[in-house]
Amino acid sequence: MGVPAVIERMDLFRALAARRTDEIVVMTMTATLQWPLVSRHELDFDFLAFGMGHAGDFGLGLALARPERKTIVLKGDGGLLMSLGSLVTWAACAPGNLLVLLLENRSYELTGGQPLPPRVDFAALARAAGLAGGGATGTGKVERIETLARFADALPRLLAEDGPHFVVLPVTTREALPPVNHSDHAGRIRTLRRALGMA
Amino acid sequence: MIPDGESRLLYDAVRSSALALITPCREGEAIAIAAGLWTGGCKPLVVLQNTGLMEAGDALRGCGLGPRVPLRLMVGWRGYGGATAGRAPIDSAYTYTEPLLAAWGIPCWRLMGDEDLPALATMDRTAEETSLPAAVVTGWAFRP
Repeated sequence: MGVPAVIERMDLFRALAARRTDEIVVMTMTATLQWPLVSRHELDFDFLAFGMGHAGDFGLGLALARPERKTIVLKGDGGLLMSLGSLVTWAACAPGNLLVLLLENRSYELTGGQPLPPRVDFAALARAAGLAGGGATGTGKVERIETLARFADALPRLLAEDGPHFVVLPVTTREALPPVNHSDHAGRIRTLRRALGMA
Repeated sequence: MIPDGESRLLYDAVRSSALALITPCREGEAIAIAAGLWTGGCKPLVVLQNTGLMEAGDALRGCGLGPRVPLRLMVGWRGYGGATAGRAPIDSAYTYTEPLLAAWGIPCWRLMGDEDLPALATMDRTAEETSLPAAVVTGWAFRP
């Protein structure tokens, strides 16, 4: 059961990597396995095992601290269910430079593909939380993009205009996942801080 | 900051100050946001109740202890007043607060009144020097 996935996740990542320049990219769960196959950027941040469900919250903190650049969050729908209140906090803070790409595969993929409750409408939840047109900026946007072509068309806008943006992207993957990397969490933080100009 | 009965006066004071106030829905969010703020160059203080600290254990482990992020925590000690007045604790939150921080290896100092204010600077300096979380626990500290 569930919504048919229509975008191959690696294709989505390739499209994003081709457009990305100096944005911070915070990723978690399966995105941490596949994004590095298309990007080796000093502003990439692997949030895996930093706290279940909180990659977007970490991204919010970064976006607030570094308003001069966009922070992109690649996270899954299962992770969002672990901290649904985050939608409300993102809407309340509403930094214009936050772009959350919700990779919707309707499962807890990394733990074996256990299904999520099938009828959850993540875009509707985000709208109800106040993310669309709300928050401090009044420029928040919520959208659902269901094809790779439309995502590629939307990317220049998503990367350039004020948000925050919350984009639901139904995805699947046919490619084998690389092994999980649980190493050197302190080093990941140090590397990102160094890339942002701090010791 | 997740306001609670202990910190409500502090909440009012911060709201009317030049400090930036963020009020997440849950304490795990607060800790992850604080870690992002620190990584981006800010110096956040997380104000939460002891019960919220217990809820936020995974975020504290993942965003603070593991990656060595010097989170500054101000933990409201629900149950402290009653316990020190000789009444039975209203629940187990009072009992587990300091032992829980100790189990995580998080140094903490009691902030119970004006005479304890130096504890704030000690906590701040310890977090900075160790690049690890440090805490003050507050009971009755903000009562009028």
